[in-house]
Amino acid sequence: MPPKIVRFLGSIRLAVPLLIAIAVVLIGATFYESEVGSLTVQMQIYKSPWFGAMMFLLAVNLGISTLSRWPWKGPRKVGFALTHWGLVVIIAGSAAVIHLSTEGMLLVRTDAGPGQQIRVQGDLLEVVAPDQSRQQTDIFIKPDGTVHPQQFAGLQLLGYSERTMKTVQFTDNGQVDNVAVNLELHSDRMGQTLARWLAVAPAGYSQMDVGPAHLEIMQAADAAEQRQLLSPPAPPQSQLGQLQVGDRTFEVADIVGQPQPLRSGVTLEVVQVWPDFRLDQAGLPGSASEAFRNPALQVKLSRGDQQAQWFVFGKAGFEPVRSGDAIDLAIAYDAPALRPTDYFRVVVTPDQQLFYAAAFSKGFATGELLPGQAVMPGWADFKISLTEQLTHAQVQRQIVPLMPVAPGTLANEGAPALHVATAAGQDFWLPWGEPTSLATADGNYFAAFSPKLLTLPFYVKLDDFIVERNEGSESVAMWTSQVTLFDPQTDTATRRRVWMNHPTWFRGWKLAQASWNPGDLAQSTLQLKREPWWVTGLTWTGSMLIVLGIGVMFYGPAIAKRWRRWTKTATPEPSPETALPETEPATTIPILAVFGK
Amino acid sequence: MKLITFLIGLVLGGLLLIVPLNQSSPDGLESLRSLAVQLDGRKKPLDTVAQETVAKIHGSTTYRFAEGDRADALSTYLTMWFNTRNWNEEPFVLVSYRPLKAAVGLDVDRKQFTFRELMSNSELGALVGQAHEKELNEVELSRNETEALTVESRLNLLFQAVGDNNLPIVPHPDDIKGKWAGLNEATALYAPETAAPLMANFAMMQQTVLQGGTTHLSMIASLADELRSALQQLSPKIYPAAAGLNREVHFNHFHPFAKAWWLYAIAFIAMLLSQWIKRDHLYWAAMGLFTTGLAVQSYGFWLRMQIADRPPVTNMYESVVWVGFGIAAIAFLLELLSRNRYYVLAAAPLAVVCLVLADSLPAVLDPSIAPLVPVLRDNFWLSIHVPTITLSYASFALALGIGHVALFNYLLTPQASQRLKLLSQLNYRVLQVGVLLLTTGIILGGIWAHFSWGRFWGWDPKETWALIALLCYLAPLHGRLVGWIGDFGVHIASIVSFNAVLMAWYGVNFVLGTGLHSYGFGSGGSDLLIASVVGLDLLLVLTTVARHSGWLKRQALTPADNL
Repeated sequence: MPPKIVRFLGSIRLAVPLLIAIAVVLIGATFYESEVGSLTVQMQIYKSPWFGAMMFLLAVNLGISTLSRWPWKGPRKVGFALTHWGLVVIIAGSAAVIHLSTEGMLLVRTDAGPGQQIRVQGDLLEVVAPDQSRQQTDIFIKPDGTVHPQQFAGLQLLGYSERTMKTVQFTDNGQVDNVAVNLELHSDRMGQTLARWLAVAPAGYSQMDVGPAHLEIMQAADAAEQRQLLSPPAPPQSQLGQLQVGDRTFEVADIVGQPQPLRSGVTLEVVQVWPDFRLDQAGLPGSASEAFRNPALQVKLSRGDQQAQWFVFGKAGFEPVRSGDAIDLAIAYDAPALRPTDYFRVVVTPDQQLFYAAAFSKGFATGELLPGQAVMPGWADFKISLTEQLTHAQVQRQIVPLMPVAPGTLANEGAPALHVATAAGQDFWLPWGEPTSLATADGNYFAAFSPKLLTLPFYVKLDDFIVERNEGSESVAMWTSQVTLFDPQTDTATRRRVWMNHPTWFRGWKLAQASWNPGDLAQSTLQLKREPWWVTGLTWTGSMLIVLGIGVMFYGPAIAKRWRRWTKTATPEPSPETALPETEPATTIPILAVFGK
Repeated sequence: MKLITFLIGLVLGGLLLIVPLNQSSPDGLESLRSLAVQLDGRKKPLDTVAQETVAKIHGSTTYRFAEGDRADALSTYLTMWFNTRNWNEEPFVLVSYRPLKAAVGLDVDRKQFTFRELMSNSELGALVGQAHEKELNEVELSRNETEALTVESRLNLLFQAVGDNNLPIVPHPDDIKGKWAGLNEATALYAPETAAPLMANFAMMQQTVLQGGTTHLSMIASLADELRSALQQLSPKIYPAAAGLNREVHFNHFHPFAKAWWLYAIAFIAMLLSQWIKRDHLYWAAMGLFTTGLAVQSYGFWLRMQIADRPPVTNMYESVVWVGFGIAAIAFLLELLSRNRYYVLAAAPLAVVCLVLADSLPAVLDPSIAPLVPVLRDNFWLSIHVPTITLSYASFALALGIGHVALFNYLLTPQASQRLKLLSQLNYRVLQVGVLLLTTGIILGGIWAHFSWGRFWGWDPKETWALIALLCYLAPLHGRLVGWIGDFGVHIASIVSFNAVLMAWYGVNFVLGTGLHSYGFGSGGSDLLIASVVGLDLLLVLTTVARHSGWLKRQALTPADNL
């Protein structure tokens, strides 16, 4: 008799609560997944040690319960054993699939060389400590920005931000004259204080946009320029811009909807103006906003019977889109520039004095900019004050997380970065994909926070990407990547075709069609996956055992009974504990029996 | 068995099939019905185009004109195509969502509105504009905006269908997948002298209908014959075979799934009556009717597979019809083995519910046949994994039905212990079938996933919910082995656990809305309706449990006695 604990581990009294517990966890997990996304749930639940322990307990329960019913006599017990051992095998196999397989994406192009490096899900942190020891680890970032692991190679991993940017500090030890100012923007109403550096050089720091406001610094070469810089902005010259047709110029605002006869006998009509041209999902033109970001005009041209529709774009280098070539004209659209209407300009006079000019929707202000004196430029309740002024500024770059400028206006720029700190408490941001040197008191760390890449033992070259459409329509029926796989070890090349549900295998790797880019048919993304052969073997064996086992367990006894009666050698078998009462004895196939009576 | 009464049942069922409830005699428009149109990625008969267009705009396949005569889809469509009525003023366009009607100032009690009414409604126009702008900026739309876009698409479709000379009915000269042309673009594919007679023919048909309205439709029969054969002569190799087109027209008008539910319903009534009168005779007559129902539904599936050229279950609509079929088929087989009428009694109403739902909710369960998305294409596993999984849902639905039959017995005749015992055994047997099928289905899905996504198991929500559903049945089945639940418990479990099946089948796509299985399932809706039906049902379960426990107390029995 096995000890009590072993009997309990193999008992149905453990199995039922365990099944219920697993079901409850899974229900919770799927709902949690619709909130936080698959990656997090995979990390926090399905791949977690406690969930693994639960599945392991289930496997132990199944295993012991099967052993405890030895010897497996009769179809029912055989079926039971097959099913439950099959489950053990499949649990082991599925766990191995999840934990032992390697998967990555490979982007290939017809117009680029062969690819060998796949992008594996997740990120990597590689650190070279001051003692030259090199370590690397997988980084997992939870949706709230916390990072796993929290400690690595003597660094504390404090957090992660989707959006960081390189900011600058200026020090006053430059060789040449270069004015830099540090401005503080403060709003009581929004509870915000921001500090920004502006410098005449380098050019990238002479102007910047902070939310709705535009900050800039300008050096006036002489008194005239100083006057010009400090005077109010000229009113916009043209509301909708100008249209150049041949050597003639039209104000678009004046001619919208009014056909204009031209000398060549052509009549021109501006039908529509889109300040921010887009095509919607139905392929119809529209404007995404009122700002002149991507201005476009629809122009109708006619000459006698000939008609043409043109789309003329304001951006330089965009040729007009024409419905026909019958009418030839040189048309260019000179759209209004996207100019900030609100700006705060710091003007450096030739004798290094500072003045400001603030333009806002309701007015204009100008005056001398003095340290400690706040200027109200008129943007909400923002106050701007000069906190620091350098005359020989030199730039020092640093990475900081981007802060929201005002509620609802998070800047769209910035790159992800990892926040780390040394044991001494000094903190740094590591930008994603850029190896960085961290200067600390103990010496220099070199750290790289980068995508996880893996090198394949072969090369993949995309020869052709074929998109088939459903007949007579634009909807996609199938896309196929035609690839050449080159194995450098054997120096052989193989041509393969990969399409949905039809992957190809090469050197133990499975290549499947993952996604494509409807806007660029020269590129294709392949999924590459490898799992040890025995893992596949486990899952397939387990699958067969289970299906076979359930069939034998449920229907084996009845079939065996019938078989014995049929062959008339039967000694009646004791009815299994939960067997159903048999229907009236049938000696023929049931459906035929129906007609026999 | 009563072979004679069984045969009488079969013949009666057959008669019900042949004597149609509403089918007009041949009207000479057969050539127009089977005119091939290349639309939405396949070639289909004009009859299907008419049904789909009218149903999509109007919400029903028939339309009652102001003069009072009800026109079928084809006549309605022809008056659009030939542009012989003032479609600006026909109250034809469906606006069903009441809050939208209230928001844009339409009469909330009317269902259909005229093109002009809707086009001149500036609030609706503003709402549509707003919805488009949100779509451009990838902002989530409100329900009103989504509904407004639906109305807009109906208006577009109507605008396009009226006088549509671009309807692609002119076959491509040599390419089997080439783009077909409309009549007025026929010269792009053929010489003008070839195309001109076609256009003349069309104009004559138009003229005839214009002069006499829908009553003159029969007079265009010969013109239609000419047009059809002329189009076929243009490109005989490319033009689809008449047999295929006629088959689809036949499918549209035969309504096999609607006929099946009628037969199931009649079989149910006969079976119910057989409890009290003419026991054996009515029983076999009911079985005969039920068999006809199964046969006509199988025939319907066969037709649909022939037309679409793909496995039977590829979208939500087909899965609902298929589950109805599975319930009936599994019940029929088990009934033949056990002959105690409960399987058919439990199955028939459920099969009817599935088929009626599929028939009456075209907005949620879209019956039109469209090309498959690439993921589902060219696929052996689709044709075995999905039918297996959905057959397991059907088994569990049948168990749910038996559970309800038992529940009513517990409520009304709690003393009939023999019958209750029998019901529990019947239920157990269906649950076995379900467990076997669901396990097989999950494993087949795993094997497909191994090929398609590169892993056997990856905790995708649909996978996980199929497993949860399995666990929800396994736990009570194992609990029964140790005596934690008895016969009554099996019935309760078969009802309560079905919610997990509902979640796996419907909820993952519409409630959770995540995961890799999210193709081809439409937009969902009616969550509230389903939730309230489930809630009411659970209330019934609770009542019975309370009643049952009270009964236990009075009899001073322990649950173990109930085994």
